[in-house]
Amino acid sequence: MSTIRRFRAMDLLHFNNVNLDRYTETYDSQFYLSYMSNWPDLFTVAESPAHKLMGYSMGKVEGTGELWHGHVTALTVAPECRRLGLARGLMRGLEDASEKIHDCYFVDLFVRPSNTVAIQMYEHLGYILYRRVIDYYQGDGVMPTEYAHDMRKALPRDKHKKSIVPVKHAVNVEDTFF
Amino acid sequence: MEGRQLRPIYDALELPDTKYALNECDKLLRKHPNHYGAQALKTFILARSGRPNEALLLGQSVLSTPSAMASAHVQQGLSLAFRALGCPREEIMVYTAALAFSPNDESLHTKVFMAAARNSMFKEQHHAAVQLSKLSKQQKYVWWLVVSLLLQAKHSKDDVAAPVQLKLAERLVEKAVTDGQLTSTEELRVYLDVLDIQDKHEQMTEVMAANGQLAAMISNDPDLVTQRISLLIKIGAYDKAISAAIAALESRDNWADYKLYIGAVVALVGQAADVEAKHSLAADISSNFEKWAGVRGKARGAKLAQVALATRMHEAGHGDIAGSPEVLIWSYLAEFQQKAICYSDIMQFIVARREPSVLEYHRTQLEQRLAAARDSAANSDDAAQAWVNLEKIRYLLQALMGETDPKAWAADIEPLLKFGLGSSQARKKQPSCSDMALIASQRIIQAAFFAYSAANQREQLHSALFKALCVLESGIQLNDSSFLLKLYAIRVYLYLSCYERAQTIYDTLSIKHVQQDTLGHLIIGHGMALGCFASDMEFCYNGVTFYDRFRSKMPRDIEAVYQQGTYSNVQDFLEFQSNIVHSAQRECTHRYALRGEGFEYGNAKETLARWEEADVSSIEHTEQTLSALHDNRDVLVMGLLTPKDMAQWDLELLTRSTPMPGHDWIQAFSLIPQVMHYLVCADNESLQEKLSELTLVVDNTSGTLSRQDVLLVRGIIDVGSLYIQASDPQNGIDDQLGRLLSVIRTNVPSNELEPSLFSLSSDSIRNLSAATELFTYMLALKHALSAQRLPAANAVGIALSQLRKEALKSVNALRGWVDKNTRALVEEQWLAENDGDIFADVTRFVVGSQKQTTSMVAKAFYEGFYEDTWSDLNKKDLLK
Repeated sequence: MSTIRRFRAMDLLHFNNVNLDRYTETYDSQFYLSYMSNWPDLFTVAESPAHKLMGYSMGKVEGTGELWHGHVTALTVAPECRRLGLARGLMRGLEDASEKIHDCYFVDLFVRPSNTVAIQMYEHLGYILYRRVIDYYQGDGVMPTEYAHDMRKALPRDKHKKSIVPVKHAVNVEDTFF
Repeated sequence: MEGRQLRPIYDALELPDTKYALNECDKLLRKHPNHYGAQALKTFILARSGRPNEALLLGQSVLSTPSAMASAHVQQGLSLAFRALGCPREEIMVYTAALAFSPNDESLHTKVFMAAARNSMFKEQHHAAVQLSKLSKQQKYVWWLVVSLLLQAKHSKDDVAAPVQLKLAERLVEKAVTDGQLTSTEELRVYLDVLDIQDKHEQMTEVMAANGQLAAMISNDPDLVTQRISLLIKIGAYDKAISAAIAALESRDNWADYKLYIGAVVALVGQAADVEAKHSLAADISSNFEKWAGVRGKARGAKLAQVALATRMHEAGHGDIAGSPEVLIWSYLAEFQQKAICYSDIMQFIVARREPSVLEYHRTQLEQRLAAARDSAANSDDAAQAWVNLEKIRYLLQALMGETDPKAWAADIEPLLKFGLGSSQARKKQPSCSDMALIASQRIIQAAFFAYSAANQREQLHSALFKALCVLESGIQLNDSSFLLKLYAIRVYLYLSCYERAQTIYDTLSIKHVQQDTLGHLIIGHGMALGCFASDMEFCYNGVTFYDRFRSKMPRDIEAVYQQGTYSNVQDFLEFQSNIVHSAQRECTHRYALRGEGFEYGNAKETLARWEEADVSSIEHTEQTLSALHDNRDVLVMGLLTPKDMAQWDLELLTRSTPMPGHDWIQAFSLIPQVMHYLVCADNESLQEKLSELTLVVDNTSGTLSRQDVLLVRGIIDVGSLYIQASDPQNGIDDQLGRLLSVIRTNVPSNELEPSLFSLSSDSIRNLSAATELFTYMLALKHALSAQRLPAANAVGIALSQLRKEALKSVNALRGWVDKNTRALVEEQWLAENDGDIFADVTRFVVGSQKQTTSMVAKAFYEGFYEDTWSDLNKKDLLK
């Protein structure tokens, strides 16, 4: 239970309890603002009854034709707010918006293979490992350089589930651009 | 022709080679002095090269020649220059002048609109939107016009014009609705905003109750669903609000809806004619909460809503009509104490009622559960988390009951340590163990501040804080991902004057971008206070880069909102922009950077040039500019267990090594560079004025200056006064010179006094750092006196030379002492177990089972005091 609402720019001044988590990347402010400008309905935050930010999901839609899809750019929950089903709720919200507002074929996301807890959750939500992306994550002195798991979930518009036929070989980062 | 002539300049700018570009401009201008394109580009280059005054002068001269604006090169160069200079009015004047040559140029009108929008110039923005909507039938311009009118009215102080503007905005939107041109939730939000500001809440509810496309938009937007309930409450339609809230809560679990539902019911109970009706209303809502509490995924919200309802009823004077808040709190805890969020959820409701009888009830309930929770913690993650939550409540209750007995705070820490650091769960990195280690260290810190608050007990305070640090570090060694342990460790290291390890931990937190504004205060400035200038300067420069990039990029984000039609972001983006651009931390970061630069080594010529060329006009502050600053520094991230209004129990406040820089600090460190500038420029009148201002600040400081800041500021005042005195060769300078030398001597560790671990961890390094800085300012004074051939230069030079010899001798002796004694003294003084020591259990634990980490912490101090401090201090003028 939380208040789910759109993410606001002013939230950037209060999201440290979420973003100090080591798996959560803090981007340039302009990155967040561009998501707010372009896809406001895909950038959602959960706020606790004590008015603390609990977690957020940030997404976009991109691609053409049958590659038109929702992309989860960030999904993060403050350590204190885990095991509440919050990440699942935020993911469902993003999937709903991708399906009902943007009429996408699928939703995809990238995750560090070392983040096993997140991978388990995505699998539980119906995501499959679509392909691996070589050195997608660059080491920053705190986190190592790593492959990414590109995971996907088909939405109802993809009737034949073509979007989730796995690619066996690992691909380069540039192959993932839409 | 013009383009070809300017090509070399553009090429140089693309490289980018500013110097070459400037040369090319000058070359062209020598041949064609009235080449406006070259003048415009030169203005831009000067603006980008930190020469704003020259740029402004040249730019205004081009601007005063209307015919020059016919050129696209002039328009572009000059508008970019004014943008870089932060002169939006002039930027708009460029476009306006250009419009005289092509009045129907849509892109020029758009530029005017965007320039105004980026700078909150709502009147100009409105005017441009009117022009655009006249020129083009594009619907987006109608919305730009509506948003401009709305912003203008919101920020206007004109009571006559604002209603007219809003009425006009409303009409434009109504026409859009009629024409089927309201097509997005963003536009709908603008419409609702226009009505809201006019208090047309009923009309808003009608809009939101509409069928068809609008209804679909609202149902797909969670914020609008909640807004509708809120509106129904505003118009007093409580029954409808309740129905809407119930409908919303049937399909989702949203706390904002629960709160509104409760608010509507409490209002209705207040209006109910008789007790029976009141009870009936309370029973209905309670029954709904009970029902939802049984639904998977909704239980937590519904149960917490019961607590909130009961608390609100009490606050409204309706007693236990919806149940006893205290009983419901413990019922909630029984069900959700295994969740980490539980304490955060329930804390506000415990804090809401602080009557002794209520707190006593909580204490009894806690005592009944605490021992059992402790005993079963090893059984599972859930059981361990339950104990953590109860320990947090124990902490809160002690604070709310006004507990100041250190023994009570230090009681029963050992089990927390054993579980948090010594258990098998801890080795498996169970998060509840890190939480427990944190609570243990919080208790040690709290107990220490109560036990050793007197000035003569500070040595014991440091010893206790060292133990807290060992606990925090042990927790970090076990679970490197716990940022809360790291935040506290940074604070305690700095409190004990150990910078290097604090900085290393800070680095592991990967704090960057906007976090430099909210969390930069944790580290920025602390290095300078402890003699570690180089790394502090790096943090400062990172911070300055963030602010500069933000300032140049944010305007594009505001433009994007209009281009994308996501108008609901406008106000939020403008507020965010203002918060960062006028941020207190930004001012602090800039001042620290300037302070560090002023402190860098340089020969006489370089030093004088540095102060002479300093642009001091841009750092002037008035009461008005200071009060406009936003304090975005995040102090709540430290996971405090007590409410912010309880200063004695506020660990964030207690663990500050120096006061958080506030207005006094910003003003003082804005004035110091001005003092030095006017001093080297021999502008005695301005110097005297700035010295008076600085004196006023330091005499009336409200506790935001540290002891060393005060020392430095007073020292600078003496430096400035000495200069004025020495400007007239007839005057003697002995008194002022003597006073300054005495300040520095007093703050350099003396050969005669035996150093101690306590003096190192409290004031001696900080004092030496401030004295070293003051010496550098005195050296600049000496250079200024020499440059102006004033006889006092000689006396000052001799005195400084003598002082340096003495300081070097003392400091070398101190360093030798540190090398010889620190390690043993940490063992003897900070890890000794004394009779009656309330931290005896803690000492035994950290020395026993956490021996390795404790040695690592001790080493951090030894290395900090022996190596890190001197690596920079020895490069400074005093000790070079």
